[in-house]
Amino acid sequence: MLNVASPLINGLKITLQHLFKKPVTLQYPTERPEIGPRFRGLHALNRYHDRSKCVACYLCPTVCPAKCITVEAAEDPITHDKYASRYDIDLLRCIFCGYCVEACPVDAVKMTGNFELANYSRDDFNYTQEKLTDKQ
Amino acid sequence: MVNLTIDDKQVTVAKDATIYDAAKSAGIKIPILCHDKKLHPFGGCRMCLVEVEQMKGRLIPSCTTPATEGMIVRTSNEEIVKARKLVLELLLLKHPVDCPVCDAAGDCDLQNLTYEYGVSKNPLSDEKFRWEIDYINPLIERDMNRCVHCGKCARICDEIVSFGAYTFINRGIDAKMGTAFDGPLECEFCGSCVSVCPVGALLSRPFKFKARWWAMQKVKSVCSYCGTGCQLTLGVKDNKVLTTIYDENQGFHNGQLCTRGRWGYQFVNSEKRLTTPLIRKGSALVEATWDEALALVSTKLGEAKSAAAALVTPRLTNEELFLFKKLFTEGVGSENLDHSAGYAHAALTDAALKGLGEAASPSVIADIQKCDLLLVVKSDAYETHPVIGFEINLGVKRQGVNLRIVSDKSGKLSRLPGAQTLLHTPGSELVLFNTLANIIVTEKLVDASAPLLDGYAALVTALSSCTVEKGAAVTGLTPEALVALAKEYAASEKALILMPLGLGYPGHGSALAQSLLNLAMLTGRIGKEGSGVLFMGEKNNSQGAADLGIVPGKNGKDAAGIIDGCIAGTIKALYLVGENPVVSYPDRKKVEAALSKVDFLVVQDLFLTESAAKAHVVLPACSFAEKDGTFTSLGRNVQKITKAIKPVGSSKSDYEIFNKIHAAVTGKPLYASCQALFTEISESVSGYAGLTWAKLGSNGVVRPVTLSPKLVPVVAPAPTAEAGKFALLTGSALNHCGTLSQYGEGPMMVCPEGYVEFGRADVKRLSLVEGDKVTVSSTAGSVTLKAKLGNRLSEGVVFAPYHFNDNSINSIATGAPVTWVSVAKAK
Ligand code: SF4
Ligand code: SF4
Ligand code: SF4
Ligand code: SF4
Ligand code: SF4
Ligand code: FES
Repeated sequence: MLNVASPLINGLKITLQHLFKKPVTLQYPTERPEIGPRFRGLHALNRYHDRSKCVACYLCPTVCPAKCITVEAAEDPITHDKYASRYDIDLLRCIFCGYCVEACPVDAVKMTGNFELANYSRDDFNYTQEKLTDKQ
Repeated sequence: MVNLTIDDKQVTVAKDATIYDAAKSAGIKIPILCHDKKLHPFGGCRMCLVEVEQMKGRLIPSCTTPATEGMIVRTSNEEIVKARKLVLELLLLKHPVDCPVCDAAGDCDLQNLTYEYGVSKNPLSDEKFRWEIDYINPLIERDMNRCVHCGKCARICDEIVSFGAYTFINRGIDAKMGTAFDGPLECEFCGSCVSVCPVGALLSRPFKFKARWWAMQKVKSVCSYCGTGCQLTLGVKDNKVLTTIYDENQGFHNGQLCTRGRWGYQFVNSEKRLTTPLIRKGSALVEATWDEALALVSTKLGEAKSAAAALVTPRLTNEELFLFKKLFTEGVGSENLDHSAGYAHAALTDAALKGLGEAASPSVIADIQKCDLLLVVKSDAYETHPVIGFEINLGVKRQGVNLRIVSDKSGKLSRLPGAQTLLHTPGSELVLFNTLANIIVTEKLVDASAPLLDGYAALVTALSSCTVEKGAAVTGLTPEALVALAKEYAASEKALILMPLGLGYPGHGSALAQSLLNLAMLTGRIGKEGSGVLFMGEKNNSQGAADLGIVPGKNGKDAAGIIDGCIAGTIKALYLVGENPVVSYPDRKKVEAALSKVDFLVVQDLFLTESAAKAHVVLPACSFAEKDGTFTSLGRNVQKITKAIKPVGSSKSDYEIFNKIHAAVTGKPLYASCQALFTEISESVSGYAGLTWAKLGSNGVVRPVTLSPKLVPVVAPAPTAEAGKFALLTGSALNHCGTLSQYGEGPMMVCPEGYVEFGRADVKRLSLVEGDKVTVSSTAGSVTLKAKLGNRLSEGVVFAPYHFNDNSINSIATGAPVTWVSVAKAK
C-alpha cells in the first residue's frame, strides 16, 4: 500500500532539525575551511641546504598516472651528487592522487593545503622546481 | 649425457654441465649473482644454493657443481630461501642502498633479488663501507661501496679481454676490488666490466644520470664502426640514443663490445650533426631546401655523365649501396665508383675475387675458435677489430689455439700464452709470405689438392726465386724461424690466417691478400672448417660493399684515379658519400687540391667534415640509428639494423636521398621501402640468393660462398729503406675506427688526438718523455705530434694512427706501405 504522507513528514522533520543546527556553508572567501593534515593540495618540494631535497630518482614521474611530472637529473660537478636540474609539474594534468608523495624515497615532494589554484594563463599552471621548493 | 631430476622434472644435459646449466636448460630459474655463462665458474656469492638429495645435510652451490647421473635436485624450499635471504642480508649490511641515485637501479641483480626475496629489514647491523669513489678516468665510475665482490669484472677483464686491470686487494672485511696499486684505472676501456657488474659499482660516466633504465626503449641494432659486426642494444629516450645496453644473449660475442661500440654512440645525437642541406653561394655554404639541393645535384650529375665520379663509404647499408650503384652506373652513366681509397678493400674485391671467384673471405668468425693454428698478419688485428681480439684471446686460452703473429710491431696479442711474434722489417710482409709459400713447396709440404688447381705450375715457378736466404735477408728474420713457421703452418690440421684491412694499412692490399690465399691453397686450407683466410674489412659494411661491387667498372677510375682525374680536370663532378678523403686517404695535399679543383663537389655526410667544407652542395644524411637496413660483417654475416630514433633535424637517410636522385636521373618510380631493395639484392647478388628480411632474424645469416680456388702468383717488390730515417707505420688506434669516432665522445675522452709512438731504443736515443712534441717529416711535408712511449716497436720504427683531422698523418704519408721520415723534437 502506498503511503504518501510518511516520507513527506520524514523529510520535513530533517529540514526542521537543520533549522536549529550550525550552518555547513562557508562564507568563502571571508570564511576559510579547516584543512585536514592529509589534504592533497598543491605540491611542494622540501629543501635541503641550497636546493630542493629531490635527488632526481625519477620514481614520481614513473608512478604518476597523469604523466605530469618532468624530472631531469644532473651531476654536481664538485660533490658528484645527483640532483634535479629540472622538476616541473603540469598542474592542469595532475589528478591530485598523491602517488608522487608516496613514491618519493627521500621525502622530497609533499602536498600542501593550498587548494586555491585558479590562474589566468596555462603557463601559470606549470609549476617549476623554483616555484615548488620551500622558500625558507 | 647425464640424467638428473630437478624439481621433479627429468633433465638430460651434457657431461660438462653444472646443476645451474641443467636447471636453465629445463627452464627452471635459479638466482645468481656471481655466475656468468661466459666465465669460468666462481662460486663466490652462494645465491645459487640448491639441495641435492644425495648430498643432504648442506646446501650446494649449483653454479659450480657438475650435474651427475641420478642427482635429485630441489631448487627451492624453506631452508634454501632462508639461506638465500641470509646471503642478501649480509650483502646489504655494508651496501649503501642508495638506489635512488644509482644508475643501476631497475637493472640491478641485488635490487631485484632483494625485492624477489622480500628482504625488507635486516636483523644485522654494521657500518657502511667508506671507500673513496673513483672519478678519475673519464669513462668508468668505480664505487666500491656498492660492490658485492662477485669478481665478474676481474674475471672478464682477465679471461676474455686479457687485460687484467682488476684484482681483489686486502683481506677480510677490508677486501675490495682494486686496480694495480689501488691507483687510477688505466685500461682499454672496452666496458666489459661495466656490462657484467651485477650492481652499480661500475657505471658508465658518459651516461651518468642521463635516464633510468626502465624509462629507455631498448632497440636492437648492429655497431656501425668496424667490420666485426657486433650486435648492440641502444638505449633510447626522447628521440635520443643515450647509451648502449648490455645484453648477454646478443651475437657471437655475447653482448661484449669495444670502446667504440660501447662508448662511441654520441655521434648520433651530436650537436655538430648537419641538419639542413647547404649550397655554396660564393665562399659560404648557406642553408637550402631539400628540393633545391637535390635538383642541383641531379642536374649536375646528369650533365657530368661519364665525367662524374663517386666515393662511397662502406658504412652505408647494403640497400643504400645497391641503390647507389644503380643510380650511378645506370642513371648517371659513370663507372668511376670506389671506396676506402681503393686499397682497403682490394683484398676482397681483387685478390679474393681472382683467387676464389668471390669477393669474400672463405672463412667465418666461428673458425677462430675452431682452428689449431692461427696466423695473424700484424698485431694490429687487435686494434682494428677488438672484439675479434676477444675471440682470439678465448681461442688461445680456452681452445688451445696456437697463435703466431707476423708483424712489424708487437702488440697485445703477442703477450697471449704460447704466442710467438715474428717481427719483420717494415714493409716486408709480402716477401715473407711468398718465402713461406716457397718453403712449403720446396719442403714438399704441399697438399695433394694444390697441384690440381689452376695456376699451380706458374706459382711454383714464380716462387722459385723467393728463397729462404733472400727472404731472411729482406725480412730480418732468421731462415730457421721462417722454415719453422712454414712447417708449423703446414703441419697444423686446421690453420686460419687473419688479415686486417683498412685505410691505415696501404700495404694490406691485393698482393698481400693473394699471397696469403696462395699459402692457404697450397696447404689445402680453403673451404674447410677452422681453416682458411679471414679478411677483416675495416668498416661495418666493408664486406657488403665488396659483395655489391662498389668498385670501378671496366672503364672506370678507382679512388686514386678519381683524385687524379679531379686534378687533371677529367672528372667534372665528384659525389662523396660519407667518405672524408681529406683526412683518411693518403696524401692530404693532393686530395685537398683535387677537391678544390673539381667543378662540382657534393658531400653527403652526418657532419661538416673537412671534405664537406669544400663542397658545393652538402646533403645531411642519417646515422645507422635513424634507419633500417642490413650490414654484412667480416665473417659474411648479413645482419639487420633497426631504426631507433627519428632523423636528426631535417636530415634524410642515404636511402631516401638516393631514392630521390635515382628517380630524378632515371625517371623510374621511387622504391617503396628498403625491404624492396633487399628483395632485389637477394635476386641479383650471388650469395644473397634466397635471403629474406624475415629470415635474417635477430642474429643474421652467414651468407654462403661458392669458391673456385685458383693460384695467382704475386711479385713482391723489395721494400725500400732509407738510411738514417725512421720507418713510419700508419694504422688504427685501439679506441678509434675511421674518422667517425672523432665525433664519438667516449673514444675522444681516452684518445683525444693523434700521436706518434716510439719503441724503447728510440725513446732512449732521442731522450723522449711521454707527451713531448716531435716533428715528423717526410718528403710530402711534416706534422708535429705528441710522442707516445711504448715497447712494441723496434729501433728505427715509429707508428702513428690515422683517424684525426688535426695534424693528420696523411699530410706526410702518401700511400706507401712504409713512409720514411725524419724525427726531431719540436722546439
Ligand atoms: S598527485 Fe598524482 S597526478 Fe599529481 S603529480 Fe602526483 S602522482 Fe601525478
Ligand atoms: S620521487 Fe622524490 S626524489 Fe625522486 S624524483 Fe620524485 S621528488 Fe625527486
Ligand atoms: S674497461 Fe675493459 S679493459 Fe678496462 S677494466 Fe673494464 S674490462 Fe678491463
Ligand atoms: S665491481 Fe661489480 S663486477 Fe666487480 S666485483 Fe664488484 S660487484 Fe662484482
Ligand atoms: S667497433 Fe667493431 S669490435 Fe667494436 S663494438 Fe663495434 S663492431 Fe664490435
Ligand atoms: S652464482 Fe653460484 S655462487 Fe654465485
